[in-house]
Amino acid sequence: MNLFGMLEVSGSALLAERQRAEVVTSNMANLETTHTAEGGPYRRQLVVFRAQRLPQFPMLLAGLQPRATRAVRVSQVIADPAPAIERYQPGHPDADARGYVAFPAINPVEEMTDLLGAVRAYELNASAVQASKAMIQQSLDILR
Amino acid sequence: MSDLMSTPALGRLERFLDVSVVRHSLISSNLANIDTPGYRTRDVNFLSELRRAGSGLEYASYQPAARPVQGLLERPDGNNVSLERESLVLARTQLAFNTGVQLLRAEFRRLSLAINEGK
Repeated sequence: MNLFGMLEVSGSALLAERQRAEVVTSNMANLETTHTAEGGPYRRQLVVFRAQRLPQFPMLLAGLQPRATRAVRVSQVIADPAPAIERYQPGHPDADARGYVAFPAINPVEEMTDLLGAVRAYELNASAVQASKAMIQQSLDILR
Repeated sequence: MSDLMSTPALGRLERFLDVSVVRHSLISSNLANIDTPGYRTRDVNFLSELRRAGSGLEYASYQPAARPVQGLLERPDGNNVSLERESLVLARTQLAFNTGVQLLRAEFRRLSLAINEGK
């Protein structure tokens, strides 16, 4: 059995949660961005998580089926289809002919909650890594 | 078998540690997918796996049977990973593994005692 495979699974979760936190912070940073390179206001970004079988080289070498463990990865980052919020600001450089400016439809409270969720999930998987490390260390101690 | 280096206890402890590692890797997998929509909690039945692993199967052909866990509360996104359950099982598996390692070391010490004529 592969003790190091567990570290890869937890590691994939650390990576995915960090990417999620990055996307959320980018949403919070662009709370008021009305102008982007693609035109129009900034669109809120969302990550999509997907469970994934981990190709384990020793297992493949032995011709065995991969085990039931699943890593996680960010399969795609999608833009929130919610329509932009319009505010009446006639003097704004991005105002349309009626004087309305399109602002991103981002709720800071929602983003903050999502960020907290990502941080907690990161901590959780970090403690799973600690547990795996402790087990590997113990099995090395058999040799002493 | 009258092989000095393979007492029955050693074989059993080895399987015990194997099943512990399998279980730990499934918990890691459950925790990694705590936010994956549609993911179902998976676990092994510790006792039946231990029995199966000890039933004279060829060591290389031993494959743990991971099953979806029934009776967990499902979230609206189809995910049913429970943080409390996983944390508890993680702690229990770690303690079980630690116990297995200590017993294995004691077994080796016993062998070494025999080799050194009890000195």
